[in-house]
Amino acid sequence: MTDQNYIVEMKHITKRFPGILANDDVTIQVRQGEIYALLGENGAGKSTLMSMLYGLYEPDDGEILIRGRKVRFKSASDAADQNIGMVHQHFKLVENYTVGENIVLGIEPMKKAFGLFPYVDMREANERIRALSKSYFLEVDPTDVIADVGVSTCQRVEILKMLYRDAEILIFDEPTAILTPQEVEYLLRVMRELRRGGKTIILITHKIEEIKRVADRCAILRRGKLIGVLDVAETTTQEMANLMVGRNVDLQSRKTEAYFGEKVLEVDALSVRNDDRVQVVRNVSFDIRAGEIFAIAGVSGNGQTELADAIAGLMRVESGTIRLNGRDITRGNIRERTEAGVGYIPEDRQKYGVFLDFDLCSNLCLRRYYKAPFSKNGILDFDAFGRYADELIDDYDVRSAQGRKTSVRSMSGGNQQKAIVAREIEEHSALIIFVQPTRGLDMGAIENIHKQILAERERGAAILLISLELDEVMELADTIGVIYNGSLLKIAEASALTSQEIGQYMMGVTAN
Amino acid sequence: MNYVHNMITDGLAFAIPLFIMAVGGIFSEKSGVINLAIEGFQGFGAFCGALLATVLGMYTGMGTQTTLYFALAMAFVGGSLYATLHGLLCIRFNADQVISGVVINILGVSLTTFLTSQLSGVFYGSASNKFTLGVSDRFSVPGLKSVPVLGAVFTNIYPFEIIILVICTYLWYLMYKTRFGMRLRACGDHPQAVDAAGGDVARTRFIAVMISGGLAGIGGMCFAYSLLSQFSPSIYLGYGYLAIAALIFGNWSILPTFFVCVFFGLARAGGYQLCLFMGLSSQYTNLFMTFPYVLTLLLLLFFSKRNRPPRAAGEPYDKGKR
Amino acid sequence: MKTISNDFGVKIKSALARFLVNEKWTRLTVPLFCIALTALLSSILLLILGKNPLTAFYSFLAGNGFAAKAKYGAGVGMISDFFQFLNIMAPLLLAALAFIFAYRCGLFNIGISGQMLLSGFLATIWVGYAKELSGGIAKPLVLGIGLIAGGIIGTIVGYLKYKFNIHEVVSTIMINYIISYVTGFYINSYYVDQVSRSSKVISTASRLTFTKTMVLGNYCNVPLGILIAIGMAFLVRFILERTVFGFELKAVGSNRNCALYTGINVGRQIVYSMMISGMLAGLAGVTYYLGFTNTIIPKTLPGMGYDAIATALLGNASPIGAILSSVLITIFQNGSSYMSSMVGVAKEIASVITGILLLFSACGQYFRTVASAYLRDLAEARPVRHESGEEGEENELRP
Repeated sequence: MTDQNYIVEMKHITKRFPGILANDDVTIQVRQGEIYALLGENGAGKSTLMSMLYGLYEPDDGEILIRGRKVRFKSASDAADQNIGMVHQHFKLVENYTVGENIVLGIEPMKKAFGLFPYVDMREANERIRALSKSYFLEVDPTDVIADVGVSTCQRVEILKMLYRDAEILIFDEPTAILTPQEVEYLLRVMRELRRGGKTIILITHKIEEIKRVADRCAILRRGKLIGVLDVAETTTQEMANLMVGRNVDLQSRKTEAYFGEKVLEVDALSVRNDDRVQVVRNVSFDIRAGEIFAIAGVSGNGQTELADAIAGLMRVESGTIRLNGRDITRGNIRERTEAGVGYIPEDRQKYGVFLDFDLCSNLCLRRYYKAPFSKNGILDFDAFGRYADELIDDYDVRSAQGRKTSVRSMSGGNQQKAIVAREIEEHSALIIFVQPTRGLDMGAIENIHKQILAERERGAAILLISLELDEVMELADTIGVIYNGSLLKIAEASALTSQEIGQYMMGVTAN
Repeated sequence: MNYVHNMITDGLAFAIPLFIMAVGGIFSEKSGVINLAIEGFQGFGAFCGALLATVLGMYTGMGTQTTLYFALAMAFVGGSLYATLHGLLCIRFNADQVISGVVINILGVSLTTFLTSQLSGVFYGSASNKFTLGVSDRFSVPGLKSVPVLGAVFTNIYPFEIIILVICTYLWYLMYKTRFGMRLRACGDHPQAVDAAGGDVARTRFIAVMISGGLAGIGGMCFAYSLLSQFSPSIYLGYGYLAIAALIFGNWSILPTFFVCVFFGLARAGGYQLCLFMGLSSQYTNLFMTFPYVLTLLLLLFFSKRNRPPRAAGEPYDKGKR
Repeated sequence: MKTISNDFGVKIKSALARFLVNEKWTRLTVPLFCIALTALLSSILLLILGKNPLTAFYSFLAGNGFAAKAKYGAGVGMISDFFQFLNIMAPLLLAALAFIFAYRCGLFNIGISGQMLLSGFLATIWVGYAKELSGGIAKPLVLGIGLIAGGIIGTIVGYLKYKFNIHEVVSTIMINYIISYVTGFYINSYYVDQVSRSSKVISTASRLTFTKTMVLGNYCNVPLGILIAIGMAFLVRFILERTVFGFELKAVGSNRNCALYTGINVGRQIVYSMMISGMLAGLAGVTYYLGFTNTIIPKTLPGMGYDAIATALLGNASPIGAILSSVLITIFQNGSSYMSSMVGVAKEIASVITGILLLFSACGQYFRTVASAYLRDLAEARPVRHESGEEGEENELRP
C-alpha cells in the first residue's frame, strides 16, 4: 500500500504539557473512507493527539500530513480549511443561540440589506441545515434554542456543524459517553451512513464494544504512547482491553452478596422547582435501605442533580418529605442534614466539592472545622487540622506535591476527587450520595472509587448513586430507578433490568 | 407645563450621553470582559478631545461648535486607545477584570489631572486644572416642537444627541445582525465555541473593549460640552459607574438599557424641576438630586432577581482549557 | 552552543524567576518586583520631563519625615512631618482594611467613600458641635458613631445583595450619591461656615488628633487614629486567619457554591462581612473628618475611598500587607506637595506613580505565571543525560 491511500498521517508526534508528556512519538495513518478508532484510557493522550489534528494545539515534535501533503495547523480554521471537523466531548455550543446560529458560527452566510448593510442571513442557512439533516438522518430544528434541547440533539448539532463545513475527515471525541443505548445505536448508524457517504471517521473512545461494532481499524494508546494498531475484525475484546490497560483486566464485578438492613432514606412525593420556577423533580418517591446501592439512571438534565441537591439540602423542596432514619429532614438546613448523617459527593467537584484556593488540609476538614478539637470557642486549632488531614491523606492515598499544604488547584482531578471521597466517607454517614463520582477520571482512579463505594455498602451505608454512564449503574447498583423529565418512571432490582430496557425508560418510553 | 417640558429636554440631554457609555459597557461585557473602567475611559477620552479642541481653538481660531465635532472624534480615538490598557491587562495578562477596571479608573484620573495641569501651563501661560470648552449650541425642530408635551423631545436638542442616537442605532445593528456581533456575543457565552469555529476570541474581545473605551470617550466629551462646559477633574462625577448600573438594570441588552438611561435622565431632571415648581430654595435641589438613585434602588428590589450576566464574563479565556 | 553573555542572561533571568516564584516569599517578592518596575518607569518619566528622579524620590521621603528637608519653619521638624504622615495614613489604612474585609468574602465595597462621609458627618454634628463634652467622653463617642453609622450602611448593602441579588457595586454607587447629596444639603443649609464654604470646625475635644502637641521640641499633630488603625489591622488578621468566622468568610469569598455545600450560611456571612467592612469604613471616616481634618467639604466624596482599594490590592488584600502598602502610598500622596515644590513637577505626578504601581500590581499573578513557566521550560530544556531513566517513562524526553 502506498502513502497516497492515507488521507491522514501523523508521524512521530510528541506533545508536552507542564509536568505531563501527553503524546510520545505517536504515529498513526488513516485511510480514506474508514472508521479508525483510537482506544485508550482517560488520560492516555487520545484527545490531545486529535486536538493537534484539529489545530487546537501545535505538536512539539513530528509532522502531520493530509492527503499526502505536509500541513501546519495554527488554529481550528486551518484544520477546517483541510476539511477536518471535530465533535468535542464537551459540546462547544453557545447556549442562548439557536441550533442554526451555532452551526453557522464562524462561517456565517452574509447578505446585504439595501445593497449596503451586510447581515447574517439565517433564513438561507436554516434551509441548508434542514436539507443536510434530512440526508444524514440527523433530525434537528434549526430554530430551536440550544438551552432548550437535550444532549443527543446537541451532539447532532455538533455533527451538522462539521457537515455544514463540508468536512471530509470527522473526529468524534468520546461521543457515546452520555447517550442512552438507543441513542448510541442511532449514532453508530449515522457513522456508518457517513462512511457510506465517503467520509473518513476517527473515533476516540474507551468503550471497546463500540469499536467492535463500527470500526475498521483501531490504534491503542497508553500513557501517551502508541501500543499498536489492530484490525478490529481479527482481534477479541479481551485482547484489546488488556492492551489498553497494560495488564490483564478483570472484567468481573467484585460485588459481594447484598445484606439489606433498615430503611435509611425515605423520599415521599418529592417535588422541586429550580430558580426559573420550572418543576425539575416531580413527585418522586423511593426508599434506600442500609447496605443498598440505589442508582438513578437517566439522560443528563432530567432532574437527577436537582434530586440529589434537594436531599442534601442545597435546593429547596417544593412539596413532599425526606426522612433519614425515620426523622423528617425536609426543612433542615445543609449543616443539620450532614450532622444527621448525609454525605454528599457532588457532581461538579471544582464548583461544589472543593475550595480550589484553599490548601488540601482545610479542604479535608470542611465537615469538622467548626467542632472540637478543630476549633474551640470559635478559634481554629491548626494542629488538629494537620493531624486529621495527614491521617486522611495516608489512609486514602491522596497524592499531592507538598502534602497537606498543597493548594488544591494544583492537584490532579483524580486526587481532588479522592480527597472529597475521603472527607465524606470519613464521616461514616448513614446515607452517602455520589453524583457522577468518576467523571473525567482515569481507569485506575475509577476502580479505586468503585472499590470505596462497595466498601461503604458493606459497612452498611445507604448509597444513592447518580450516574450518566449506564455501565457504571449496571456494575454497581442493587436497585435502579430511571428518571425522565423529573419523574421516576421505573424502580426495579438491578438484576431484573437489561440495559436496553433502561435505555427505553431513559427516553421516556413507558409503553412496554 | 413649562416644568415638564424642561424635564424632558434636560432629561434627554443627560440620558443620551449616559446611554452611549452604557452601550460601550454592553459591548465589553457581552464579549466576556467585565468593564468597571468606563469612568476612566470617559475621562481619558474627554481629556483627549478637550486637548484637541483647545489646540484647534488656539491655533486655527475655530468656534466652539466646529471644534466640538473634532473633539468628539478625538474622544473616541483617545478613549479606545486608553481602553487597550484594560484589554491588555484582562486579555493578555489575565489580570482580575474587576481589579483591572478599578486600576484603570485610578490611573485615568491621575494621568488626566497631571497632564491637564502640565499642559494647561503650556497653553494658558499659567497652570490650571482645566481646559475651558464652552457649551454646545442647541436647536429645535420647527413644527414638531410645538406638539404638546412631546414637543419637548424636539426642543433645545444638542447636536451630539442626534449623533449618539445614530451611532447607537448602528451599534445595535452591529451587535445583533452582523457576523462580528454574532461572534462577540458568543465570546461572552461560550468562548470555546468561537475558538472551535475558527474565530479569534482574544481579538474579538480586544476590539469590543476598544469600542467600549471609544464610546465612553464620546459620552464623557458630551458631558464636558454640556453640563460642565470644561474639562477638569470634575468630569469624574461617577457617571461611568452610573452607566454600569444602567446596563445591569437593562440586563445587558441595548434597547432596555436605553429606556433605563432615559428613566435616569427624567428622574434627575424631574427632581430638579419639582424643586423649582415647589418654589424651594436652591439648597433643596441637593435633596431632589437623590431621586434617580433612590428610585433605582427601589426598582432594583423588584428586578434584580432575574438578571442574567453573560455566562463567560470575568473569565479569562485560556486556549488550553477544554 | 551558547555564548557566555547569553548564558549570563539566562542566569539572571532564572535567578529573577526563582525570586518571584519562591514558595515562601512570593507574596513579598512580587510586590517588590512591581515597586522596582514602577521606580524604573517613573524615573524615565521624570527624566523625560527633565527632572532628577533621585531628587524627586528623596523629596517624597523628606516630605513624610523619613529624611531631612533642606529647611524647616520655626517649631517644626522632621518629626512633625512624620506625625503628619501617620495622621493621614491612619484613615487610609482603616479604609483599606474595610475593603479587604469585604473583598475576602468576595464582595466589592466601592462605597467606602460614602460610608466614610456619612459617619464623619454624623459624628461631626452630634459630637463635634457639642461643645460641652469633654475629650474623654467625646472621643469614644466619635468612634462609636463611626462604627455604628458605617456598620448600618454596610448591613443594608449586604442585605440587598443577599435578599434581592442587587450587585453591591451598583447599590454602593447609588448609596454614595444619596449620602453625598443628603449630607451636602444639611451642611449647606445648617452647618456651613460662610467663609470657607465648608462645614463649621469641630470642637478640639472631639478631635481624634491632638494638634500642636510638643514632641521633642517640635509641634506635632499626634493622631490617635494610627493606633486604632494598626490595632485593627492585627485584629482583622486574627479574625481572618484564626477564627471559624474568618474561615467561613474566606470560604464564601473563595467559592460561594462550595460554601453553601459545606453548610455555611452564605447569606449571613455576606451581611456580616459587609457590616464589618462598613464599620471599618466608618472608623476611617471619623479619623479622616474628625482627625486628619476638622471640617467637611459638602457634596464631595473623599477620594480616599478609592485610594483604599488601590492600597488593599497592592497589599495582596492582606491586613499586614495593607500596613506596608499604605505606608508606601501615603509617602507618595502626602509627600507630593513637597516634592512638587522641590523638583518643579505638578504634584499630581504622585498619583500617576501610584497608578503605575497599581497597574503592575494587577499583573502580579501574570509575572508569577511567566516566571514559573520560564523555570519549567529551562528545566525541560536541559539535556536528557542529567536525569536519565530513573524517573520512569513519563520523563523520557526527545532531544
